[in-house]
Amino acid sequence: MPDAAKVRIAFRVNGSEHIVHAWPMARLLDVLREELRLTGTKEGCGEGECGACAVLLDGALVNSCLVPALHADGASIITIEGVAQGEQLHAVQQAFLEHGGAQCGICTPGMVLAAVNLLEKCPNPTEADIRNGLAGNLCRCTGYMKIFESVVAACKQQR
Amino acid sequence: MNVFEYANPTTTKEAAGLLAAQWGEAEILAGGTDLLSLMKNYVATPKRVVSLRGIKELSGITSSASGLRIGAMVTLQELHDHKAVHDDYHSLAHAAGSVPSPQIRNLGTVGGDLCQRPRCWYFRNGFGLLAKDEKGQPLVPAGDNRYHAIFGHPGGSPGAYYVHPSSLAPALITFGARVKVAGPKGEREIPLASFFATPKREGERENVLMPNEIVTEIILAAASKGMLTATYEVRQKEALDWPLATASVALRMSGDKVKSARIVLGHVAPVPWPAHEAEKLLAGQTITEDSAAKAGEAAVRGAKALSGNKYKVQLARVAVKRALLEAAAHGKEGMQHG
Amino acid sequence: MHPEPPLIGQAVPRKEGRDKVTGRARYVDDLVFPGMMYGATVRSPVARGRIRAIHFDENIPWQEFTVVTAQDIPGENCVALILHDQPCLAAEIVNHPEEPVVLLGHPDKHLLEEARRAVRLETEPLPAVFTIEDSLAKKEIIWGEDNVFKSFLVEKGDVDSAWARAEIVVEGEYETGAQEQLYIEPNGMIAVANPDEGVTVWGSMQCPYYVHKALVPLFGLSKDKVRVIQAETGGGFGGKEEYPSMIAAHAALLAWKAGRPVKLIYDRAEDMAATTKRHPSRTRHRTGVTRDGKLVALEIDFVIDGGAYCTLSPVVLSRGTIHAAGPYECPNVRIRSRAVATNAPPHGAFRGFGAPQSVFALERHFDQVAKACGLAPDEFRRRNFVHAGGTLAVSQVIHENVDLPQLMERAFAESDYHAKRARFARENRDARVKKGIGFAAFLHGAGFTGSGEEYLASVVAVEATAEGRVRVLAASTEIGQGANTVFTQIAADTLGLDPELIDIAPPDTAAVPNSGPTVASRTTMIVGKLVESAALGLKQTLVSSGLPGERGGPEGRPCTSEEFQRACAEYIRKHGALRATCQYAPPPGIKWDDEKYQGDAYGAYAWAVYVAEVSVDTVTYEIRVDDFVAVQEVGKVIHPVLATGQIEGGVAQGIGYALYENVVWREGRMVNAQMTNYIMPTSADVPPIRVFFEENPYPFGPGGAKGIGELPMDGPAPAIVNAIEQATGASITRIPVTPEVLMEALEGVHA
Repeated sequence: MPDAAKVRIAFRVNGSEHIVHAWPMARLLDVLREELRLTGTKEGCGEGECGACAVLLDGALVNSCLVPALHADGASIITIEGVAQGEQLHAVQQAFLEHGGAQCGICTPGMVLAAVNLLEKCPNPTEADIRNGLAGNLCRCTGYMKIFESVVAACKQQR
Repeated sequence: MNVFEYANPTTTKEAAGLLAAQWGEAEILAGGTDLLSLMKNYVATPKRVVSLRGIKELSGITSSASGLRIGAMVTLQELHDHKAVHDDYHSLAHAAGSVPSPQIRNLGTVGGDLCQRPRCWYFRNGFGLLAKDEKGQPLVPAGDNRYHAIFGHPGGSPGAYYVHPSSLAPALITFGARVKVAGPKGEREIPLASFFATPKREGERENVLMPNEIVTEIILAAASKGMLTATYEVRQKEALDWPLATASVALRMSGDKVKSARIVLGHVAPVPWPAHEAEKLLAGQTITEDSAAKAGEAAVRGAKALSGNKYKVQLARVAVKRALLEAAAHGKEGMQHG
Repeated sequence: MHPEPPLIGQAVPRKEGRDKVTGRARYVDDLVFPGMMYGATVRSPVARGRIRAIHFDENIPWQEFTVVTAQDIPGENCVALILHDQPCLAAEIVNHPEEPVVLLGHPDKHLLEEARRAVRLETEPLPAVFTIEDSLAKKEIIWGEDNVFKSFLVEKGDVDSAWARAEIVVEGEYETGAQEQLYIEPNGMIAVANPDEGVTVWGSMQCPYYVHKALVPLFGLSKDKVRVIQAETGGGFGGKEEYPSMIAAHAALLAWKAGRPVKLIYDRAEDMAATTKRHPSRTRHRTGVTRDGKLVALEIDFVIDGGAYCTLSPVVLSRGTIHAAGPYECPNVRIRSRAVATNAPPHGAFRGFGAPQSVFALERHFDQVAKACGLAPDEFRRRNFVHAGGTLAVSQVIHENVDLPQLMERAFAESDYHAKRARFARENRDARVKKGIGFAAFLHGAGFTGSGEEYLASVVAVEATAEGRVRVLAASTEIGQGANTVFTQIAADTLGLDPELIDIAPPDTAAVPNSGPTVASRTTMIVGKLVESAALGLKQTLVSSGLPGERGGPEGRPCTSEEFQRACAEYIRKHGALRATCQYAPPPGIKWDDEKYQGDAYGAYAWAVYVAEVSVDTVTYEIRVDDFVAVQEVGKVIHPVLATGQIEGGVAQGIGYALYENVVWREGRMVNAQMTNYIMPTSADVPPIRVFFEENPYPFGPGGAKGIGELPMDGPAPAIVNAIEQATGASITRIPVTPEVLMEALEGVHA
């Protein structure tokens, strides 16, 4: 396909402005991983089921494998790379590290973003809030217990 | 994914003009939660994708004395969180909130929910909507059909066996929702109850839209005072899978008696399936364990189970019964509070 | 944070945890090589057939593509494992749907996918076999002379004459379905390959040396010309034990022909449909007991469906066979087992490795036997548990100080088993949602079976630098289970060092010795012990060359990092490299007879009792696990958070196995190969999983540890189905218990 078929997308990712030229069929996931080399966002299923590719798009948790890159034009996006402040981990990341919330790590970026998003919207979640808030993110390693513990610990830490 | 042209119109009219006169040539992109998977698996191979994201008129929910107008691009999460929906159309808010994951609720739209394609694994594996083998024989009756239709299928002959996947349609139909669609010849309004259709030939779709028409909004009449509603879903597990059977009910009451009832089943037929017999049976009745159970019985009269989905008849029966009891329970709560 | 020694027993932060929570960890799909192109696989559309022709659609610019078929293979066309029966690319005959036939390479992913769809295989169909029954009945011979990959016969005592002494005989048949590993990172490899430099692959895998073993004959290269490097791996569970060899081979063949690096990443549907899954099984039990519930005779016929090629089926069968009689003592046992061929993609390794299948059958069956004896399920188990000094079905004398009644009591206390069982029995009569509580008792052997570890003869090295840093060199892979952290703890404690000074070398066959595959619950117990021994060797070298103090420091205090550093620098200055290696030697007294299948099957077992509590809506067939208690004895727990995480994760997979995860087959092909249609537990589906350890250090494990990885997969399914039986009275004999299975079973109860 000729490069002329590419389309221009301007968006803000982790606080920085970016302009990329992508194929019309590119998904936000592809642009983040291949154009911006932000490979923390993972592709687990490519059909919106597993949540490994979750990012925050204008503050809402979405699966970037289901977002056409063109839909991100003008949007503000946070990926896993934008969660820590420099070397200072976010409370959720620190909690995942200490409480065994990450095993193989492939669901972790999406799971961390889902947890960050949950705590932003609901600073004192009940157990049901946590379970439902993370229900779009699959983890095959942990059985979710250590993830729940991590979210609870992060919540206490933030208070 | 095949190569396609992406169009980003800003008006409905423009969008309709970009669609093709044939199915499959162009596809509408709303939230993308279904279309991108279909395209990834080459089940959909449009030459042009028409995004509705840039069309302002398709967004937002307006509440007025005459009722509710829900833009086709309203997300499930917005619908669920909207105060008027929550207060006056309880079963609809519940249906929107039960949709799988937060991510899907954030992207998925009302129009997309109504127009999403079936989850049938034969369809998703490229055997077509009518799921036929090389010799033209239907795969579903002889194959694994545990999640397929128990109503509205041709009972072994070639035809549609999938179930309609919409989460919102049953509840919307019980409220008498109308769909506004726009096409090259302008706009028309269709009762949602007659919006869905069962394809007879491969290549036809699951609704009455023309290939170049777009769902623009859902119109709900003002909620009638004291109407009791509920949606009950039976699931194999809590999250991420589609329900095995759903029932939405809306009851107009006169005191503790049902004046009229609307009951619609989901995930049991190629279209949302109205339970007219059950509706008639309830008129003039109070909702009790007994009357709800009888309505459940009536709702599944005429069900035709396939080789592997007899259990769904039972699920549909129970979904109706429990939805009725839940609606009645809301009535009691309401009385206590007010 | 600087944890105080000893580290063993403490929850130190995961070694690579920071990279994982920040998204910096690099998995294979995150790697990019200059000039890299992508690979795709054209697969068989039929279950069994003769390849007549391969048609390439004219609308594709094929000159831009690298196309590889069986003819392009420089060496032997096979994926070398146990047998060499599985081709790397089918040449004349295909034996299962999705069998690889043609490979395509192109720099543009999208064009590549278009091209893959434009290759059509013309095949002449051959009759195929899809079920265990048809395979056993030799409806068609599709493999070898009789469709049987492997059979075992375990005989203890004299079963035939024992039936006369049995006062009650109970028979039963049990079935388990296939299960997809569903690691969240799909399989993938990158290869650089050319005749000058040889073959190098990077990828997601559990066993670098298995991949190495497969690539050597495929290319006909010498061992030193093949190099395999593990990238960060997003879960394996057995699913990345053998199939990565196939993908590595494909990526390397493309790279070899193209002269460019090739990345071959499976998408989810391809990964689910084409790669290995857990073997489906069928088990028949015939059990003789005395009226007071003592086992007299156990006869077990265990069959697994291996799919189209042998792959690891003999080993899966072996473990399933040995675990089939559980942690019980019976004087007369016969276990006959077979792995048979069908025209499905080969089934393979998955956590538990045959044991979840045979343990499901046994623990379901023993609830039936208990009922027939008029005993409570726990009382029947109590009367037959093996004790220290007793013997298992393979006549292995148990030397461990095992106390199964105590594990069971603990599990019952934590779950309030007895009170709940009584209460549920009372309340269920009038309830629509019925509740039940059930349990399973089981064991799981750690490490390779029998003489397997001796044949493997694993090696680990530990080396120190002049700066006083220590590197552990092993081919054992970190796949999420925490191997890197556990090795660090073991090495740091042995050397008395700060864990920050310990590095774990990335598994790279050019740089690390072969410590064996990362499978079979062997990494902590077997390889960890080698790490301990090698580290000890390193320390002894330093002590003998003057590192102060007997324990590494004066007056028995551990040496300080500075002292260690100085000693290393000094040693290296004087003698050169400072490195110690250790090779596996079996603990004393281990004897195994491969012919009779009798003897010490495993050096050590983990022992467990799991209790599940369920609610069953008898009208909507919805089943919910409300509570789960997992009590186990696994020797010394090296890292409480990682160990608990292993158990919790395994239990969740077990819940999926029991209730949700259903592979739907159509003529040997998985038709629900999407995550939307094949459903695993989500955060909303799992109960509280409560994990308890009883510690009983094993003298031959590092710090007293035994293996735990597979154990938690064995118990959940029978415990859950036993609980469903208490709730509903329905005796279900197959998993997964999907709504239609439950409906059928409940109809049986009401009829």
